[in-house]
Amino acid sequence: MYDNRLAYLYTMPAVLVMALFIVYPFIYNVVISFSNMNLSHFRNWDYVGFKNYLLVIFSDDFWYYLFKTILWTVLNLVAHVGIGVFLALLLHEDIKGKTFFRTLLILPWAVPQYITALTWRGMFNSEYGSINLLLGHFFGIQVPWLSTEWGAFTACLITNIWLGFPFMMIIALGGLQSIPANLYEAADIDGASRFQKFRNITLPLLKPVMVPAITLGVIWTFNNFNVIWLVSNGGEPSDKTHILVSWVYEAGLNYFRMGYAAAFSMIIFIILLMFSWRFIRHTRATESVY
Amino acid sequence: MVWTSLKPVEQEVLDSLLQSFSAGYPQYEFRQLFYPNEEARINFIISTLAGKGPDLIHGASDNVGPFTDLNLIQPLESHLDSLFLAGFLQKPFPANTWLKGHLYQIADRIGNHLCLVYNKDIIKEPPETMNELIELAKTLQGKTSGGKTIRYMLAWNYTEPYFAVPFIGGYGGWIVDDQLNPTLNTPATVKAARLIYDLAHTYGVTPRECDYEIANALFKDGLSVMIINGPWSWGTYLANGMNIGIARIPMIDETHLWPTPVVSPLGYSVNANLSGKKLEIVLELLKYLTSAGAQLAYTRVSGSIPSQKEAHRSPLVTDSELLRHAIDQMSIGKPMPVVTKMRWMWDAMRPGFQGVFSGELTPEEAAAFMQKKAVSLIEENL
Repeated sequence: MYDNRLAYLYTMPAVLVMALFIVYPFIYNVVISFSNMNLSHFRNWDYVGFKNYLLVIFSDDFWYYLFKTILWTVLNLVAHVGIGVFLALLLHEDIKGKTFFRTLLILPWAVPQYITALTWRGMFNSEYGSINLLLGHFFGIQVPWLSTEWGAFTACLITNIWLGFPFMMIIALGGLQSIPANLYEAADIDGASRFQKFRNITLPLLKPVMVPAITLGVIWTFNNFNVIWLVSNGGEPSDKTHILVSWVYEAGLNYFRMGYAAAFSMIIFIILLMFSWRFIRHTRATESVY
Repeated sequence: MVWTSLKPVEQEVLDSLLQSFSAGYPQYEFRQLFYPNEEARINFIISTLAGKGPDLIHGASDNVGPFTDLNLIQPLESHLDSLFLAGFLQKPFPANTWLKGHLYQIADRIGNHLCLVYNKDIIKEPPETMNELIELAKTLQGKTSGGKTIRYMLAWNYTEPYFAVPFIGGYGGWIVDDQLNPTLNTPATVKAARLIYDLAHTYGVTPRECDYEIANALFKDGLSVMIINGPWSWGTYLANGMNIGIARIPMIDETHLWPTPVVSPLGYSVNANLSGKKLEIVLELLKYLTSAGAQLAYTRVSGSIPSQKEAHRSPLVTDSELLRHAIDQMSIGKPMPVVTKMRWMWDAMRPGFQGVFSGELTPEEAAAFMQKKAVSLIEENL
């Protein structure tokens, strides 16, 4: 340890910042998850054991929002990865205006998320929104996007797909560019079809790049508070358009049910920890393929 | 530092008031910071619990319940002389807010209640009853006025319970009993929810999807003849050159009762962390900001109803047709309870009402849901 004191000194600022902004709040969150801290007992709270955890597990809200969160995450990830890889494959080809299209397709990612979310909310407005105006003009229909449970969910989904595909596209494009060209040449000599090359060369060699990106994507989407909150105006209608994290925010900072919200967030943490661990182990993403 | 949720035109008034007050205290800086209502409340709780927060917070009186439960604001009765306090209105509702024997908020305006606002360029007289409103809609909707086709007779933010509860009163019920316990699962709530649903889905008088922004835009664009909105909005309509009139929300034909908007004063509370010299100056500022002159400065730009007797007698109030009708609407309103449990009440009502309008709940199911949720939230949090 003495020999490495300089290394410890260098890491000390990062350790201190981590301790202050991550470790301490995390421990505090664990503590209040066992308390009755709320608007009526903010300073004079008591320990209530596992009451909050039981309240979360046995409430319909938790299972409903968990279902919505899983659905939200899966649909988003499928769309993000599908659209992202598809566009990356297109951009990897020798096409005219490649740089222009690449810049254009990154734009949704470059615009701040809350601006995009509020812009889409405006576009989904039933009276003035451009989407309904176009739907009305071309198909004679008007969709109540934001006043129905699944309309609002779909609106959030479309917004987040718009926001999320550029990230996967960039990652996939980087992965494609790192695949040695001689593998495709060898496949051509063997007479492999386009699909066979995609399945046997492109996909396996994209995997080490895409799996960590998908893992990150799952965690980000699972915890994507901004889009859900801003597009659905805080979970409207009837608190039906929540995912787990937006409900925790509502419970904690709108209803001030701090103990309950802390327990809820611990359960979310455990779900994500288990998922990430199993996913990375199962896909062996950290192993080298070359 | 003063935190407010005032509209831009009123923020300008507050700026000039702070500037003129600061002339007497050149060594201090007086500033305001705007937050929307909900954020002001949340941020005040968080920052004041941490020992900071603004010196004064301006808002509706229902903040007083949670703020006092958390000891975030301080009692004022010992700091303010009786002569000053006697200058505030007591009728039809007390302007200043007392709770558990202590004074916690000094009002700079009263009312803050919903009224029917109508476009006088389209109709000269507003409908008196809901049936009249529905009949009038048949003749007006689809017609052109001022180059625009009238799409709706009425638009308002009916998915927000604050905007829906007047109709519960119109059917003879109310949201709480005398002990301030929730009374939501009643025929009055069911009928109110059904009426609002029917106005949109059966009669097509109001939009099927309507939040505050949509309603406001429809009314300002001349696409809706009327809106249900509060005094905070009138200044914007007038600034836009609209020819507006104020009236009571139309009577319910079945009961012959008028809908009862929630009435609450708006005013200033003092941060509990303040003491010493700073507290003295803040109290002086509080008196200045709630003086008759300051109140009338707001009345001039936004049509707010003053809480000081002296300002209330001003020609600016008595000669104003808008304010006369607004005060008339206020006289049949219901005072906003200032207890913390109201917080859970609103939170319970919101998903219930929205469930009716999105077609997921019948009015009966919604009323039962709201009551159950309100009771459970109150029990859980007390």
